[in-house]
Amino acid sequence: MNEPIIVGISGGVDSSVTALRLKEQGFNVECVFMKNWEGGGDQCDAEEDYKDALSVCNQIGVPLRSTNFSEEYWKGVFKNFIDEYSKGRTPNPDVLCNKEVKFKAFLHYAEDIGGVKIATGHYARINEENQAYKLLKGLDSDKDQSYFLYLLNQEMLSKSLFPLGEIDKKEVRKIAKNNGLLNHGKKDSTGICFIGEQKFFKEFLKKYIPSNPGLIKSIDGETCGEHDGLSYYTIGQRKGLGVGGGHGNNQEAWYVSEKDFKNNTLIISQGSNHPSLFHKNLSADSLHWISGYPPSQNTNLYAKIRYRQKDQECNITTLGETSCNVQFSVPQFAVTPGQSVVFYDGDVCLGGGIINDRS
Amino acid sequence: MLYFDHAATTPVHPEVAEKMDRVSRQDFGNPSSIYSSGRSSKSIIEKARIQTAAMIEALPSEIFFTGSGTESNNIVLWSLLYQKNKHVITSSIEHPAVLKVLDELTIFGVTYDILKVDSTGLINPEDLRSAIKGDTGLISIMYVNNEVGTVQKIKELVEIAHDHAVPFHSDCVQSIGKMPVSSTRLGVDYMSFSAHKFYGPKGIGFLYKKKGLPIKPLIIGGGQESNVRAGTENLSGIAGLGVASALVTNELNNRIEHLEKLQTYFKSKILDKYPKAIFHGNEQLYAPGICSLAIPDIKNEIVLAKLDRKGIEISNGSACSSGTVGLSPILKQMGIKDSINQSTIRVSFGRGNTIEDVSYLAKSISELLDE
Repeated sequence: MNEPIIVGISGGVDSSVTALRLKEQGFNVECVFMKNWEGGGDQCDAEEDYKDALSVCNQIGVPLRSTNFSEEYWKGVFKNFIDEYSKGRTPNPDVLCNKEVKFKAFLHYAEDIGGVKIATGHYARINEENQAYKLLKGLDSDKDQSYFLYLLNQEMLSKSLFPLGEIDKKEVRKIAKNNGLLNHGKKDSTGICFIGEQKFFKEFLKKYIPSNPGLIKSIDGETCGEHDGLSYYTIGQRKGLGVGGGHGNNQEAWYVSEKDFKNNTLIISQGSNHPSLFHKNLSADSLHWISGYPPSQNTNLYAKIRYRQKDQECNITTLGETSCNVQFSVPQFAVTPGQSVVFYDGDVCLGGGIINDRS
Repeated sequence: MLYFDHAATTPVHPEVAEKMDRVSRQDFGNPSSIYSSGRSSKSIIEKARIQTAAMIEALPSEIFFTGSGTESNNIVLWSLLYQKNKHVITSSIEHPAVLKVLDELTIFGVTYDILKVDSTGLINPEDLRSAIKGDTGLISIMYVNNEVGTVQKIKELVEIAHDHAVPFHSDCVQSIGKMPVSSTRLGVDYMSFSAHKFYGPKGIGFLYKKKGLPIKPLIIGGGQESNVRAGTENLSGIAGLGVASALVTNELNNRIEHLEKLQTYFKSKILDKYPKAIFHGNEQLYAPGICSLAIPDIKNEIVLAKLDRKGIEISNGSACSSGTVGLSPILKQMGIKDSINQSTIRVSFGRGNTIEDVSYLAKSISELLDE
């Protein structure tokens, strides 16, 4: 019997079509549902997602198992998430989840149960030449998820398959529909998996990070209101500031431009084009390079400082083992400490780091 | 496919299936109707009641058909709401069909205390004695534990309860077909049973209630089952339960002997290969056929997945509804370390298993150890 490929299935349409395509290509496919979060408050989403996964597996005729990585998620992802937020930064847990859970705990589990490779529904591609693995953008530029995968290493890539990397999302839904998969129209998950909808975000954070009220001031030093804790706000945030558009010179909206930790003050600026919202330079640390080697300093590259951003021309001006300085050709909106900067050379995702500061 | 998960459920016995098929095809009359087809259905039910009663040495009038063991537990526990004394004593290793119900009942003024078990899963009867209070209105303790097979000293516990004039309920779902269960010998007041654990159909169970004791229905309607469980009877299910019960009565000694043989063989094979293996439970007080064993260093979900691929079906103690393998709360209550807990699998044998099957199982587990 050929050894199975273990597909991480979530009950969503992407991972379902991943399993379906591999099965159609003649692989021996087994699916695994991962439970990475215990509790989850009032909603039993995991329960419903599991049922969706089960019905899909029954439809395509592959076994489904289930496993629990909530401990790994808590230690490897969530602790860092809370830690970063309490420092006033804005982390990206999905990036860490891939590194610590999907391509570590799950990969080990898959190997333990006798799997030869794992497969996930990520929109990205893997290219192998002489046993050197490259991570490439997904061909659907709108869905490309390489940004979330920049912490993968050679070993992880060598044991992974991304069957959706070459097709676009519309096609995926069409395949699901044509094959009668019941979840073909299921809504894409958005936001952070353990919180669910964005509107619950602040409420959720408050359970873990105590409030610490202070003033909201305009960039010109005028007091505009009060905030309940710098941790609850993100650079570039527009909604939920409690400062009406009418406040100030014109009707334009207000944005978070800075967090003044020393004075516990939230600094806001009016208008999405306000210069205080833009920075040309950033420093990053916790650098990781997928190939194992950094690119050479002062070469022209491209980078994204958030998911789905268009590639931005940049140059790594100083490059150390774990940290670097980056200069962009044009100033960037809302450069946010805690988020990832991910570097590209054309379609190849080179790696990246965590944004530390900007200027 | 080789099935070793009889504590979860059992395959329907061919004689049971045959009877159910015949009843489904031939007998449709409503047992409450007084004309011929109704009377014929009624007699099927009453015959099954006699067979069921005989299995546990009870009177037919002490048997009430229900939808499941869970429902039987619920009927007894929810009846507490109608009595003055609402304090309950139970054990820490009960099935959720007792523990979760009690938790729910606290909304309505029920209080309860939980007796601890020792490392073999056994309750100390003296603990029960000291837990009884003035307002204790029920003691509910399972006979055989579903994960580790430990058998409680029910007779002794019942005597203590009765010394204090407290009624005693026992979830006996796992005991039947693995050991003699006699209502008269045990003296228990209420007992819950489920047919699918002893080669009967799913969706049918029964409650034993000692003559003269009170009970209140959960489901109210047309007064079937002497007003204990309304709703038109599950005729073929009841007929199937009757046959399954009669088979237990006739075959019990053979079944016990068979289970003992398989268990002894399995244990020796595993321990020969892997002396570090740990068999949970009590070495004297156990129901044959339920083996809970830890293979240290290998997580149970890995063992389950690999055996499943070979067509061997076993379980870990407790799979929750999203299919996730978690730590067994029962082993936790027995003081078993988490690392051992997550390496524990449950193998439960049945009448269809042969020595050859068990030999293949032991060999397959050994191969995992060699990898």
